[in-house]
Amino acid sequence: MHMATTSAPQPIVHLSHVDKDYKLGAVTVSALKQVSLEIAPGEFTVIAGPSGSGKTTLLNLIGCVDVATRGEVVVAGQDTGKLSEGDLTRLRLNALGFIFQSFNLVGVLDAFQNVEFPLLLQKKLNGAQRKERVMDLLHKVGIADYAHHRPGELSGGQRQRVAIARALVTYPRIVLADEPTANLDSVTGTQILDLMQELNREGTTFLFSTHDPHVVSRAGRVVRLVDGRIVTEPDEQSQSSHA
Amino acid sequence: MILIHIALRNLLTHKIKSAIVGGLLVFAALLIILGLSLISSIDTSMSKSIVNSVAGHIQLQEKGAKDELSIFGQMGSNEIGYIHNFAEIRKAIEALPEVAAVVPMGIDSSIVFGGNVLDVKLEALRNAVKAGDAKQVDIVRRHVRRMVALLDEELKNLKGFSDQEKMSDDMKQGVIDVTAANQPVFWDSFDQDPFAHLEFLENKIAKMAIGEDMLMLRYVGTDTERFRKVFDRFEMVDGTPIPPGQRGFLINKFTYEEQVKHKTARRLDKIKDRLAEGAKIATDDEIKQWIKLNRTQYKEITFQLDDAATADVKAALQDELQTKEADMAKLVDAFMDVNDGNFQKRYDLFYKVVAPRIRLYGIRVGDIMTINGFSQSGYATTVNVKMYGTFRFHGLDRSTMAGAFNVLDLMTYRDLLGYMTADKKAEIAKLQAQSGIKELKRDTAEAELFGDGAGEQVEDASDATPAQAAAVTPTDAPAAASPTAVATATPGGSAKLFAKELESHVYSQDELDGGVVRSAAIMLKPDVDLKVGMAKVNALIDEKKFALKALDWRAASGLVGNFVGVIYAVLAFSIFVIFLVSLVIINNSLVMSTLERTREIGTMRAIGAQRWEILLMFMVEAFVMAIVFGAIGCALGYSIVAYFGHFGLLANNDFMIFLSGGPRFYPALPGWGLPVAMIAVLIVTLISTLYPAWLAMRITPLAAMQDSE
Repeated sequence: MHMATTSAPQPIVHLSHVDKDYKLGAVTVSALKQVSLEIAPGEFTVIAGPSGSGKTTLLNLIGCVDVATRGEVVVAGQDTGKLSEGDLTRLRLNALGFIFQSFNLVGVLDAFQNVEFPLLLQKKLNGAQRKERVMDLLHKVGIADYAHHRPGELSGGQRQRVAIARALVTYPRIVLADEPTANLDSVTGTQILDLMQELNREGTTFLFSTHDPHVVSRAGRVVRLVDGRIVTEPDEQSQSSHA
Repeated sequence: MILIHIALRNLLTHKIKSAIVGGLLVFAALLIILGLSLISSIDTSMSKSIVNSVAGHIQLQEKGAKDELSIFGQMGSNEIGYIHNFAEIRKAIEALPEVAAVVPMGIDSSIVFGGNVLDVKLEALRNAVKAGDAKQVDIVRRHVRRMVALLDEELKNLKGFSDQEKMSDDMKQGVIDVTAANQPVFWDSFDQDPFAHLEFLENKIAKMAIGEDMLMLRYVGTDTERFRKVFDRFEMVDGTPIPPGQRGFLINKFTYEEQVKHKTARRLDKIKDRLAEGAKIATDDEIKQWIKLNRTQYKEITFQLDDAATADVKAALQDELQTKEADMAKLVDAFMDVNDGNFQKRYDLFYKVVAPRIRLYGIRVGDIMTINGFSQSGYATTVNVKMYGTFRFHGLDRSTMAGAFNVLDLMTYRDLLGYMTADKKAEIAKLQAQSGIKELKRDTAEAELFGDGAGEQVEDASDATPAQAAAVTPTDAPAAASPTAVATATPGGSAKLFAKELESHVYSQDELDGGVVRSAAIMLKPDVDLKVGMAKVNALIDEKKFALKALDWRAASGLVGNFVGVIYAVLAFSIFVIFLVSLVIINNSLVMSTLERTREIGTMRAIGAQRWEILLMFMVEAFVMAIVFGAIGCALGYSIVAYFGHFGLLANNDFMIFLSGGPRFYPALPGWGLPVAMIAVLIVTLISTLYPAWLAMRITPLAAMQDSE
């Protein structure tokens, strides 16, 4: 596992003094307050906290699907507050990978096509290259045999493996996972975590949210959120103690 | 591309949505195809009906005339102008390679008298008296006497019902006269002065029996021979065509049956036709109405029967009805009270026993008809003309609208029109002076030639047909001049002789073309496009500076021609409504499916799909749907049209027959029908996709995260 040392390379994610407000009618709710955070390459970081603490909001800001009310969010070297909708989309496509709680596969496409989808949007690889890349990943996540099964024909764990493959297929700088094991039983959840950890060891940076203590215990670094504030400043070397 | 793949997959996955939307699209395409083929076929066949029966492709009328020509008639629009130089025009236009023929025309309607049975009988009585045939006089006189008695009875009944105050003085006097003529003393004194009695009957009584014999006929005055040759829908039914160049009248078979035939017989025919179509007397109100009329209008039969005929019919009816009833009125009433069981037997009996003893048609082939017209100057003109036969427009014989025209020769038409140009009059005067023909006493001559009706004519407006004939074609002068001379030399009994001469006089083509006509029909050669033909004719009109306006058949046939436009509008409207409904339903169903797919779309956006890519996906989906279902609808529609195009669709009423130009309707799809239907379906689909697609575009990547919190 790569450690974030004092001689850290350029961080992939850099948040400074980020606020996020939601307007609920006349009331303004602060979802995030003065959040500052850096994610360095190779991290395996968990954002932990109870429901409503702002985990997903934070992940959305980093994932470029939402913008901060105040403060600066820099992802892959780009200040997201200054990007257009189209540029944000391109940033998501090329620099980020997403793993969703409910897997969010496209129901009408089979496993192979779901994984291939971001490559098709990128339009960088030809058919043969795409096939090689997709099959390579399906092997890696262990479901190459199910390449031509549709999501409906797969179990939850298999679906999440497909989703992981889809998230990795574009070589993203960071993979964001929103409660990736919440819809899985504990055995399967553990297997998925094992897979993600293995991929992390191979170089993929992960940032995921969870409120599952078991998942938190596997994290290299834990960012605790309560009421939109980071309560435990991540001390440089506090992670991986339980790994 | 993956988007097409997703679109197709979506279509297959959301089967109910696809079925609803697809069904609508198929229906819409089907409707367009069927509608278009229906309309274009109606257009084609109706154009054939109109063009080939009377209108030709193009009609010419005087330029600047107050009213536009309307072949099928329009109230109060008779000022369509005059064409004076028809011969020149015809020659010039027929020289065009696109033109097959030019036919002179004039369309008008007049009151025609024919077949007043009392008149006919009185004439027979007069002839018998003149011949001194006492036996014949007796037979006919008794029939006339009974007719007068029936008339008197009818008028008395009438008097009981109607308000005396409202009767005109003439009418009141007429009633008194008929009552007088029904007294025994009138008939007892008949032999003492038969001619005085006859005169009284002819002048005072016959007019009271009139009314049923009055017909309003619409006719086209034309060069009958050319008309017959140019309009290929024209075909004779009874009698013979009017001999080339001669005067004569042809009655449309439809009109002949409908209006000229004996009313009771006609109603029996109609009942028979209706029963043949599967109707039942017991359940058909219209048939019951006809039967009721036949029973109450027994006079239509009894009036016409003389003693011998009455005896024959009475015996036959008593036999049929198994009764000893002697009253003819009651017998006919009972006989006409037909039902589903006895109709055929009584119908046959009617035609076997009754029909031969009555005047089955008011005007018969070979009869002289009296046409009363109002000339352009406003005075009444009366001409007598021979009825040569009946005709029909092939395939349209059952159609009321195509039955709208009768055919009259051009010369008689001009007499009725009573129109002469100043130039012509001057020219005639000059020619008359040159050829030494004496000035005719036209007012008296006309009266002698055509009977009393022409007596009111003013001198300058009468058509100088015989004189004109003499003047224009010197070779014919003796033939034309001689009846004129006879007419002036021996007033009185010579009227008939003159009429005979006139009847058999053959007019030359120059005479026919030389006079005034009101319009002209241009028939183009086969395969000449109407627009091209119009352009050529208009160019020629401009070049020759003819004072003419050319109208295509559609314009010239007025409302009837615009009928296709009306159907188009109706169809367009229903297609519009269907499309609107489809639009709403398709839109709704796509919105639903968009909402269902919110998370999926949000995921795609999160993963990196641009908005336009989402839009594209929806459009591809819509496009695929439109193509697939539109094609199915088109194929289905095309098959249906092809099926009926091959086997035909039975036109089961007059109007359908008119529209389809024949007894069966053969729809055909114009070549542009399929692309039009496809494009229309495509447009509807794309429009109904716009809103759901817009909704889908607005879905943010956040939607992918929604259930994650």
